[in-house]
Amino acid sequence: MASLKRSVDSDPLAANISNKIYVRSTKSGKVQKIVREVYLRQDIPCSSKLCQRCLVCAPKDASGKPTPFVLSDSPAGTKVFPQGHYLVPDTNAFLTAMDLFEQDSAFYDVIVLQIVLEELRNRSLPLYNRLVSLTKSEDKRFYVFFNEFRLETHVPRLEGETVNDRNDRAVRKAVAWYGEHLARIKEKDAPAIVMLSNDRDNLKKAKQEGINACSLADYVRQLKDGEKLLDMIPETQDQDQIKEKRPGDNLYPEYFTMSKMMTGVKNNLLHQGIFNVSPYNYLEGSIRVPAFPKALLVLGRENINRAVDGDLVVVEVLPKDQWKEPSIQVIEEDAITKNENPDAEESDDFVSEKERKALQEEVKRTHSKTTEGHAQPTAKVVGVIKRNWRQYVGHIDQSSVSQSAQQGRKQDSVFVIPMDKKIPKIRLRTRQVSELLGKRILVTIDAWDRSSRHPSGHFVRSLGELETKAAETEALLLEYDVQYRPFPKTVLDCLPKEGHDWKVPQSMEDPGWKDRQDLRDLLICSIDPIGCQDIDDALHSRPLPNGNFEVGVHIADVSHFVKPGNAMDAEASIRGTTVYLVDKRIDMLPMLLGTDLCSLKPYVERYAFSVVWEMTPDADVVGSRFTKSVIKSREAFSYEQAQLRVDDSSQQDDLTKSIRTLLALSKKLKQKRLDAGALSLSSPEVKVQMESETSDPIDVKTKVHLDTMSLVEEFMLLANTSVARRIYEAFPQTAILRRHGAPPKTNFDELANQLKVKRGLDLSVESSRALADSLDRCVDEKEPFFNTLVRIMATRCMMSAEYFCSGTQAYPEFRHYGLASEIYTHFTSPIRRYADLMAHRQLAAAIEYEAIHPSTRSRGKLEAVCKNINVRHRNAQLAGRASIAYYVGQALRGKATEEDGFVMKIFSNGFVVLVPRFGIESLIRLRDLAEVEPQAEFDAENYVLQTSGSREVKVELFQKVRVRVTDQKDETTGKRGVKMELVRTC
Amino acid sequence: MPLDTSTYSLALLRVDGRRWNELRRIHAQIRTQAAADGSSYLEMGHTKVMCVVTGPSEPGPRRGGAGGTGGGGGVGAGGQSKDAEVVVNIVIAGFSSVDRKRRGRGDKRTLEMQSTLANTLAATLHTHLFPHSQINISLHVLSQDGSLLAALINAATLACVDAGIPMTDYVTACTAGSTSTYAANDEGADPLLDLNHQEEQELPGLTVATLGDSDKVVALVCESRVQISRLEGMLAVGVDGCKQVREILDQVIKAQGQKMILDGTVDKGTGLNDMDLD
Repeated sequence: MASLKRSVDSDPLAANISNKIYVRSTKSGKVQKIVREVYLRQDIPCSSKLCQRCLVCAPKDASGKPTPFVLSDSPAGTKVFPQGHYLVPDTNAFLTAMDLFEQDSAFYDVIVLQIVLEELRNRSLPLYNRLVSLTKSEDKRFYVFFNEFRLETHVPRLEGETVNDRNDRAVRKAVAWYGEHLARIKEKDAPAIVMLSNDRDNLKKAKQEGINACSLADYVRQLKDGEKLLDMIPETQDQDQIKEKRPGDNLYPEYFTMSKMMTGVKNNLLHQGIFNVSPYNYLEGSIRVPAFPKALLVLGRENINRAVDGDLVVVEVLPKDQWKEPSIQVIEEDAITKNENPDAEESDDFVSEKERKALQEEVKRTHSKTTEGHAQPTAKVVGVIKRNWRQYVGHIDQSSVSQSAQQGRKQDSVFVIPMDKKIPKIRLRTRQVSELLGKRILVTIDAWDRSSRHPSGHFVRSLGELETKAAETEALLLEYDVQYRPFPKTVLDCLPKEGHDWKVPQSMEDPGWKDRQDLRDLLICSIDPIGCQDIDDALHSRPLPNGNFEVGVHIADVSHFVKPGNAMDAEASIRGTTVYLVDKRIDMLPMLLGTDLCSLKPYVERYAFSVVWEMTPDADVVGSRFTKSVIKSREAFSYEQAQLRVDDSSQQDDLTKSIRTLLALSKKLKQKRLDAGALSLSSPEVKVQMESETSDPIDVKTKVHLDTMSLVEEFMLLANTSVARRIYEAFPQTAILRRHGAPPKTNFDELANQLKVKRGLDLSVESSRALADSLDRCVDEKEPFFNTLVRIMATRCMMSAEYFCSGTQAYPEFRHYGLASEIYTHFTSPIRRYADLMAHRQLAAAIEYEAIHPSTRSRGKLEAVCKNINVRHRNAQLAGRASIAYYVGQALRGKATEEDGFVMKIFSNGFVVLVPRFGIESLIRLRDLAEVEPQAEFDAENYVLQTSGSREVKVELFQKVRVRVTDQKDETTGKRGVKMELVRTC
Repeated sequence: MPLDTSTYSLALLRVDGRRWNELRRIHAQIRTQAAADGSSYLEMGHTKVMCVVTGPSEPGPRRGGAGGTGGGGGVGAGGQSKDAEVVVNIVIAGFSSVDRKRRGRGDKRTLEMQSTLANTLAATLHTHLFPHSQINISLHVLSQDGSLLAALINAATLACVDAGIPMTDYVTACTAGSTSTYAANDEGADPLLDLNHQEEQELPGLTVATLGDSDKVVALVCESRVQISRLEGMLAVGVDGCKQVREILDQVIKAQGQKMILDGTVDKGTGLNDMDLD
């Protein structure tokens, strides 16, 4: 009988086949043993342009195109390796100092070993992605060498050898092979192959084997501007030193093990959620968990236990006697820990005296309370599942800098104060203190040890002087994660070749005209803010013979230019939205499309996507249709121009008449919407006026509302709703829609109570209609702004609207609470929002204009897109507001004005005042009231703060106050902001 | 965890170190079980299958009338017909995949493979020579690492040759795929030959079987979504792979033939004059 065994040995190929055997555990906890074949080969090139031999075996793809070689034939040299060198970093090097490798000044010609790439992918996916994008960039010359597949460099794991040791050995072997391989080049000195590692053992073994090897720090010192780069190496390399520390030094409790946390969460004993820091009190955090309707509070440094805003943490609920009310005090980190010394780690008090005092006050207050029911459950952090650390913008705390550091080049510890107040101070070791003082800098957090009060981080780069426009704008963009780099070439390649000369084709036979309706003879016009360049929408109306009106909304046909799946589409989907700053616009799509080819400019023909309704004079929709079209806008009005034209009764041309019709219809539409329960919310909106030449801000204006604005708005809402219905009908599972959840009643508890106590007003929140009505009743005859104030505060109790994919929610959940619409989407601004572009594609498929692209109907993809654009949308809003706040500060520079303000939040040691004229709010603390901080009595139930002593005032919620507004550079955040002083209460 | 299929573009190397147009190691043996009419054992990488052919013989009493319902995929009307019935039975061992999984007799995927295989073989074997009889093909899957159907077809071909059943030519099969996923929609995706399990999971792929040295496709199975534009390239690469597989199988059979002549199991017939026995 023939034997089936030993078939491998008898095969001549056997020497080239190896197995990779490893054990992995699945998400459900199952352990799997995986055996994979590995085919070893000798035709993997070294990819050095110096090497002739490898040219023969350059791999070719299916079309026979060989892969070009990557590594330069004249690599840069250093002091130690004057002949030039190629770098071979190990995994640790990438893990600790990816920023270094992304530098422009050094780190070229890097060989990334497959084993390193694999290990990095295991350890950190984001870093892996960054490395992969580095290998794809042409100028950095990163080459991925698949050492595990090359016969000479394949290293089988020895008996008893740990995986790490084997991997280190594989790296050394690859380095040695490269050395020998390149040494055979005859013409000139072959470049040195330098291994980068921070592992001492590995370095030692490399020395023994005669391989060039450096630690990161040693290598960077050899470089020309090494000193600067040195700061970017995190200090975790001195692991031995940390070990020497006595265990008693640990300030924070140890985290639970992952398995303990997982079992705890499963059994509902522990809870998992995102950690949020209160914007007013850095020692108070909250975490929303599914098990409880209200957020759990996390109070104090020890309970927060090294969690940073945004981290995914696991918490344990504290016993009931430790439950508390959320703080009514403002605690700012800088005020309390001002004089800490970044070097003095061994401070015997972990919770500093001042912090303790602040907490004492809190305790006193809760104890004096008779109403027990108010106490909220508190919790402590027992572990972090996933850090959400990113790069933070900040500046060096002047007070943490020692005198010697300002002069010398000695490495020194300083504190960096992040711009985001929710992020704790970051301890930074740097040699360039003197250069970095007064600059906006970008830093990252590396670690937060149990023994260290603050997280430690390293310097990434400097953005420029504080308060310069460029630095502040970039800081803002970084802080809100806005992609602001210029569009890469691959994206620009997707633009039409004709550039600005692109025109709607003359001949109707052109494929561009296929299924397009010719609407060029309609009197279409656009109405937008002054200076608007990216015109998304245009309108028309005309009477029909039967007494009804035909109304059309025409939207720029962006989907014609941005085809799904290409580089431009990918970039737009990442950017998600255009970001508007006061002086700058960061486009989602390249300028050529956004401001020219797609923009519905007047007097030229443009492609559009039209929604056309037939409406009765009462604004009831009789019929609607959707079509791709070609239009020619007659005029681009600003809101003001359009308003003037409508109001001017001498204008009787057709265009003006049609605007008047639209205006009349829009008013009826609005009334219908309000009747259905749509909310009219409010937020303080201002506009910064710039000097036209220097673009310096000179004044701040509140926005004026014009009828023509709501004209455009109403029709856009109608178009969005119509489109939402249509695409949902066509794609019940995958339509991209926008919903606005009804806010939980508890959100309004505080506001309702405040209104009740202070004004005797009732806020009913059963439905959006009830809320709208009760908001209408919130009026104060003497104070017209009171209603707006309440609306602003109510807006803050709302949920935020979000994009979603229709298959993920049940139909009743589609509701848009604010607009009181059953179903809603975004369709009308495809130039500046990616969601609209998706809606365009889906609508085009729904009307059978084109076949649907797989990415537009894959639910997984759409969900990912929604998730991203929700975040981007929010960030864009925040960035826009922050930009306005910055410019308001700049506009007020050197001026001092007295303005009316309103108290909108009250604490035991301060209160928040909103000044509608500038749309700003600011905190006035007790200690700002007078030279000597006055005593204060705080009545939390009635929201009254009564001070006595050095200054006597009584401040109440909703009270109108007179404040002096000046600009002030906030020493701690380095932001120029407004400072308010209380002049008098009214 | 090692890298996945998305790293192909970095150095044009697949997850197991192959290029786009390379087959895995194929190892095959025939006449592994002396007692059977025909038998074979085949490995394509870590996919390992064995095949036993019984017949052509008289159909069993129960099977004959039922037309092969008991044995899974059966083609031809069995006892009553002029053509022999091809009955295929596949058993997938519980230990053949990473997660131990028992597959019952009614497993739909197995049934489908059985019927595909039966149809493919019935078209190639000269069943009209054996009226009122049955050819039983039993396949056992010992280990799975992708391209299972292809391996089964190849093993069955070998076993049928061993059983001496007249057939038009070799039926050889292999899989072909594409280097990027359907959703990625990458225009420049390369076709891939002979997918392993990981590639099969992550990338689109098809199984193709051809007849002998010709380009005649006798079976084509594609269960994943793929852009139509990529299909032609994939098919071309697959057909090319089938020819390579045929070469390998041919060598295996010739080697076995030589061995049998040297052993004296068979006489060196006249038709074998041109065969070089050194």
